[in-house]
Amino acid sequence: MTMQSEELQPEEFGQAAQAVIAALQGQGPAEAAAAMADAGLFGICADEAQGGLGLPLAFAMPVVRVAGQMQLSYPLPEQIPASKALQGTEAGGQLLRGEKSLCVVMAAQAAGDWSGVARNGLQADYVLVQTDAGFALYDKAALRCQAEEMLDPEVPQLWVSTTGATPLLTLDAEQSQAFCADIKLLWAEYVNGLCAGALERTADYLQARVQFGRPLSAKQAVRHHLARMRLLLEASSAQAWRAQRADGCDAPREADSALAAALSQGAWVLEKAIHLHGGMGFTWELGLHRSLREHKKLDACLGAGALMRAVGADFIDRCEVTQ
Amino acid sequence: MKQEENFARPDAASGPGAYRQYAREWLHSHLPAHMRADSVDYRTPSLDECRDWEARMYQVGLAGMTWPTAYGGHGLSLREHLAVNKEVGALAMPESVSSIGKELAGPIIMAVGTEAQKQAFLPAILEMREYWCQGFSEPEAGSDLARLRTKATPDGDDWLIQGQKIWTSGAAKAHYCLLLTRTGTVADKHRGLLMFAVPMDTPGIRVVPIRSIDNKQSFAEVFFDQVRVPDSARLGAADEGWSAAIRVLSIERATNRMYRAWRFECELRQLVRAYQSEPALRGRLQEPGLRQAVGQVVSQIDGLKGLVERSVEQLQAGEPIGARGSLTKLYWSECHQAFASLALSMVADINPGHSALAQRAKAHFTQAYLFSRAESIYAGTTEVQLDVIAQRIQQLTKD
Ligand SMILES: Cc1cc2nc3c(=O)[nH]c(=O)nc-3n(C[C@H](O)[C@H](O)[C@H](O)COP(=O)(O)OP(=O)(O)OC[C@H]3O[C@@H](n4cnc5c(N)ncnc54)[C@H](O)[C@@H]3O)c2cc1C
Repeated sequence: MTMQSEELQPEEFGQAAQAVIAALQGQGPAEAAAAMADAGLFGICADEAQGGLGLPLAFAMPVVRVAGQMQLSYPLPEQIPASKALQGTEAGGQLLRGEKSLCVVMAAQAAGDWSGVARNGLQADYVLVQTDAGFALYDKAALRCQAEEMLDPEVPQLWVSTTGATPLLTLDAEQSQAFCADIKLLWAEYVNGLCAGALERTADYLQARVQFGRPLSAKQAVRHHLARMRLLLEASSAQAWRAQRADGCDAPREADSALAAALSQGAWVLEKAIHLHGGMGFTWELGLHRSLREHKKLDACLGAGALMRAVGADFIDRCEVTQ
Repeated sequence: MKQEENFARPDAASGPGAYRQYAREWLHSHLPAHMRADSVDYRTPSLDECRDWEARMYQVGLAGMTWPTAYGGHGLSLREHLAVNKEVGALAMPESVSSIGKELAGPIIMAVGTEAQKQAFLPAILEMREYWCQGFSEPEAGSDLARLRTKATPDGDDWLIQGQKIWTSGAAKAHYCLLLTRTGTVADKHRGLLMFAVPMDTPGIRVVPIRSIDNKQSFAEVFFDQVRVPDSARLGAADEGWSAAIRVLSIERATNRMYRAWRFECELRQLVRAYQSEPALRGRLQEPGLRQAVGQVVSQIDGLKGLVERSVEQLQAGEPIGARGSLTKLYWSECHQAFASLALSMVADINPGHSALAQRAKAHFTQAYLFSRAESIYAGTTEVQLDVIAQRIQQLTKD
């Protein structure tokens, strides 16, 4: 991916990422990271002077969508905006080159301590933790961490506490806000990708699976479920696309709204995808559970409900200000 | 009210941003308070008041945006149309009393009409001299529109029309009907369908209003008894009726009342402000459950904005909108029904002792809830949209 941006469309980045991710089959995290770094995936939004491609977020959106579609569990949606936010620092360079990896924790404070859960941080070297003051970067080795395998035994969540640890660096308010909006949009599009992949597989399955002498896709009840899945996916994707074009004070609100929608609508799509596979849907082998787990892990650390409340509170407050 | 000359209309090269700014300023300074549904001075505007308002909007360049200048339009792009619609939505103004003319009949006349028809009909629609209604549905042909029976038979240079339409919105006030008929038998299904522009004062037409659940009489049965129209009333060639009808329906689903998302947002603001205006209700806005419910509505509105803005970009890029209008139609109807249900449950807490703003909101949202029941029915029911999405967008096979 070293072409000039004038010639490129964001969708082409999705296609290129698809080829890269497909070739990662069977590789360990380090090799996978090296291959993705080689293809320039981590540095899409980082400045060219720092070894990135210096492109707007619109070019990263199709990449993380494909990552979701192909059930990539590597924290690509985290590492793309982090490579940009941390550019110019040692950690930023390592992330961009795929030498180190990172997870993100939206932490909550309890009894003066910040803690929270990263969706999949077991392999991470760094942890970017959001507190009231913005984001702070920690060496994972300096933090109290505990793997949580309940939701996903293969790619566990990571509980993290910053008690007693000193950050390597902190992002200022402006950088924190930009990173926060970027990562939420990329998470939203990653979830949309999980759903797009699940919908595609489900539609294929139901067009092949014959019951009552015809493919199940001939039945209106089934067709309507698939149509609804498509509707929610289209709306959620259009919303993320629109939010990505928002600027100024609208950007954080739009990003929250897009992520809340992707999570809440995505749950329905993924659960329905499993349901529509019948008994096959309940098997480990089919693998749709991986998309559901990725979704639920993200939902657990952010919460579609909490995001919705934040969106509602923001709307209510703005009504007052402009009264 | 400011003088007209204070508002310089942007030229075509200024772009949608300038147009939006212009629309905002003009609309805010000219819409009378008694026509604003969120104002305590509101009273239901008369048809003439609505007509005058829309005629003025047209005169100052805020309607007929995309229509060619040769037919009275302003010759701009869908982007300017969307920019204006965002501001139309953001202000609680009355719904257009001529949306069928402006958004369905007009585009179809432009697509299949003769030059004489374009000259005769299009400027009159924009200038609000003539209203239209849409005569598609029949008692035996609802979702299955291709089973319509209203018959058009050639008679010399004329056509004789016999049959019945139903659920025809605005029939009682309309000057013309965009009428879908057939030349053969019902067995021909979508072949042999023919569209007409029929003057509603033609002898043999009888309009019987129907009372709806919102206690209005906004739609009607329309009977056609040996109605004679000249061949010049025909819109498009014989057999072109079905493709023209499909075009009407896809316009209706994709771009009709493009302002909806912004209007829903405006309504939500009205609801929240009604609560804020009343000390007894104000505290409820802090409740997490209510905030989440409001957030859900906001988020759905954002999704709708995304669908609409994306459609505009696609149309601008020359892509046909086709069946994708079904996505927008289904999404807005369900989004607004969910919002209307929430609003109704919220305004239930408003009582006669509360502020005038709160009373206004109660009246508005009770009516909005009742009307919203129609939203999953008209312009194609939910099930019909799901069928379209399954068939034409998801492209599911049946065998
Ligand atoms: C307020 C309002 C304004 C209207 N204005 C106009 C107008 O101006 N001009 C005009 O021509 N029409 C108008 N209509 C009519 C509207 O387009 C029809 O009501 C609509 O197409 C449904 O047709 P129907 O009423 O015959 O219901 P039916 O087609 O009889 O449907 C009844 C129920 O069965 C379901 N159903 C139907 N077919 C299927 C299927 N294949 N699979 C599963 N379920 C199915 C429907 O979804 C619906 O719930 C208006 C309707 C309303 C409510």
